[in-house]
Amino acid sequence: METVTSFALDRARRTGQADRWLAELLGAEPGVALVAVGGYGRRELLPRSDLDVLLLHGGRDGIAAIADRIWYPVWDSGAELDHAVRTVPQARRVARADLKVALGLLTARHVAGDPDLTERLREGALEDWRAAAPTRMAELHAAHDERTKISGELAFLLEPDLKEARGGLRDVQAIQAVAAAWVAPAPGPKVRTAYEQILDARHALHEITGRRLDRLVLEEQDEVARALGLLDGDVLLRMLAGAARTVAYAVDHTFRQADRLRSRRLRRRPAERRPLADGVVEQDGEVVLARATDPAADPVLVLRAAAAAAQAGLPLAPRTLDRLTECPPLPVPWPVAARDALLALLGAGPAAISVWEALDTEGLITSLIPDWERVRNRPQRNPLHKFTVDRHLVEAAAHAAALTREVARPDLLLLAALLHDVGKGWPGDHSVTGAVMARDIGRRMGLPEPDVELVASAVRHHLLLPMVATRRDLDDPVTVKQVAVLVPSRTLLELLHALAISDGLATGPAAWNDWKATLVTDLVRRVAAVLDGQPMPEPAPLRDDQLALAAGGGPAAIVRGSEVTVVAPDRPGLLWRAAGVLASHRLTVRSANATSVAGTAVTVFDVEPEFGEPPDPTLVAGDLRRMLLGRLDVQDRLERRARAVPPRGALIPAPKVILVDEASETATVVEVRAHDAPGLLWRVGRALGECGLNVRAARVETLGAEVVDVFYVTDADGEPLTDRERRRATVRSVLAALTG
Amino acid sequence: MKLITAVIKPFKLDDVKAALQAFGVRGLTITEASGYGRQRGHTEVYRGAEYQVDLVPKVRVEVLCEDEDADDLIGVVVKAAQTGRIGDGKVWSVPVETVVRVRTGERGPDAI
Repeated sequence: METVTSFALDRARRTGQADRWLAELLGAEPGVALVAVGGYGRRELLPRSDLDVLLLHGGRDGIAAIADRIWYPVWDSGAELDHAVRTVPQARRVARADLKVALGLLTARHVAGDPDLTERLREGALEDWRAAAPTRMAELHAAHDERTKISGELAFLLEPDLKEARGGLRDVQAIQAVAAAWVAPAPGPKVRTAYEQILDARHALHEITGRRLDRLVLEEQDEVARALGLLDGDVLLRMLAGAARTVAYAVDHTFRQADRLRSRRLRRRPAERRPLADGVVEQDGEVVLARATDPAADPVLVLRAAAAAAQAGLPLAPRTLDRLTECPPLPVPWPVAARDALLALLGAGPAAISVWEALDTEGLITSLIPDWERVRNRPQRNPLHKFTVDRHLVEAAAHAAALTREVARPDLLLLAALLHDVGKGWPGDHSVTGAVMARDIGRRMGLPEPDVELVASAVRHHLLLPMVATRRDLDDPVTVKQVAVLVPSRTLLELLHALAISDGLATGPAAWNDWKATLVTDLVRRVAAVLDGQPMPEPAPLRDDQLALAAGGGPAAIVRGSEVTVVAPDRPGLLWRAAGVLASHRLTVRSANATSVAGTAVTVFDVEPEFGEPPDPTLVAGDLRRMLLGRLDVQDRLERRARAVPPRGALIPAPKVILVDEASETATVVEVRAHDAPGLLWRVGRALGECGLNVRAARVETLGAEVVDVFYVTDADGEPLTDRERRRATVRSVLAALTG
Repeated sequence: MKLITAVIKPFKLDDVKAALQAFGVRGLTITEASGYGRQRGHTEVYRGAEYQVDLVPKVRVEVLCEDEDADDLIGVVVKAAQTGRIGDGKVWSVPVETVVRVRTGERGPDAI
């Protein structure tokens, strides 16, 4: 049901007045017509709108005098006039060359004079538009992307441009233009209502400011809200956010249909399906479910599909989103696979934002994290902030994804960034309430208790570093000591540092700049100096059954469920060769623990299949044994596998390799932070081996889609690395192995 | 009329603002600035990587006042901004020809 607002009546009245006036000015003149185009053509004259008029003629003489007779009085009245004098063929020619003119002609409306002239123009313009549909659709799409780049998204900005921003008026006009080419259906009732809401807000804004203003600035929001009969600016922004989300979703869908029209013309063979994750495939540039997948039986599917889409930089198909709503709710606490998928989704950085938004439109985010409802579409009255609270959180997580190499716990950084302002949905200090909520959400996600506490502390103190750095004397030892009391570990300090940067970048240009970054870095350095070095994760102690195996001396390989144990006389290269065999069987190493007992190396892997059913354990064990006996070419196997790796569209931060000295007296500790990839452990291990180093022990952990691996290495004489040049060479070759 | 400019340590801003308010100053402009004075830059080692700190973050405060208040105002700023250590900053004044309040068009001392 569409209601006609007093604003709509006012627009119709203004349009009628303008029509009558122009008709009077033209008088009874043969062979000419006055045509309203653009917003005037749509009968949407706002108080400060341009009068967009075309004087159409059949090529007669004295047209300039007629034009003067009409334009001068309009100019004299002070109205803004956008005018042109053309014949029908001229108008069509200009429209063919200029998208804006073509769009204006799609809404051409006869005002006065010879109606046949106007009709010829309308029909001709539509015919041209349809004939050039494939190129026109591409131009429309490019214009939309350009507008989004410049003006951002209406739904998430605190001072949005109602006309140009994504989800704004221009997007609905674009949908109408696509529909005019018979490529996709016209806007439905929901989109039309949304359009009227946004148009009314723009109308009120013109009326109140007396200017042709399209950006809904903070200081006008309350008054615009009152003019629309709403309580205040917050209510107005929430309403506009809802409307803009509806429009943005519809315009995406429309453009996808338009794009498909083009790709179908270019390529006639059926679309390929490429696997991305278990039950999730790519088809036609979209992420869809594999044929046999049953959403109703797979609660993790929502996050797995979202993570696969974000990592591949592709959208989830609308039908797939629909089907994902059939997934049962996740059990509480979440299974590890769900948490990992959420982290892989967030770890994809900017590519995660549109996927998150798609899930949110279907209500899937609030069913994953019920507390999200409190921050959803929530505006914030703060001159520093650019975005609504929910979008600010997602933006912060996207920025955090670029900083995952700077912290020992990339997984907790991503979660803390996503949750740091979640307390803004409640009264009181949002850091304090946020910490309580983060603790609940962390437990719901099944994080181990120490990690829950770290995330809660990060949320509690997310403003600490920027505040102290700008307001306290950093030269005063008391300042540093006070921070060190609140931030007792380097792990937390690193998290807070990266969180401050991501939060600042996601807030807006006024909140973060080099100036502040320098101060915060200075503080972090000073606090780090008074904190003790953190212990490196050491290999976990062996269980009794593993010790018994080690006593046997091996070689042996046992595959039991997700646990793979390899026992063999210790020799260089064992760990990474075994990891290579596992990778060749499409097994992802979630964690690995390598130790050595009296000359026998025991390596325990925790693995999971990349997708599909796990491989036959007897085949894996057999290959491991052949590797131990030197009868398997692991490299060849992996190279053949590498060709089937899914594409990656997400922006992944470069890997980082750090040599840590204080962690061990008898070995050099090599810490590798990188994005997970098939065969990663194999490549790193081989690079270390080629540098003439022995991996004495290792602890490998995959946190979401990121890995943090720690290798205890010695040189051929069993000594830690001291030579500067050799240390540099080691870092270089491991980095080369990771990026190559 | 005079324009007083102070370049101070960022954490001293609150103190300086409070002191200026107590003195009766009703408006001031603040800019985030970076620079160096006699202390020059210094080299720091952080996470194993050396880096040069060329420019130290500072805050620049600007206040307009009448000629007779200038010396007192400078005194107030210096007192509030002082820690006695290197890098405390500088305060200076320059003569101002014209001041116009944009909203009302008032000129001269009335516009301060």
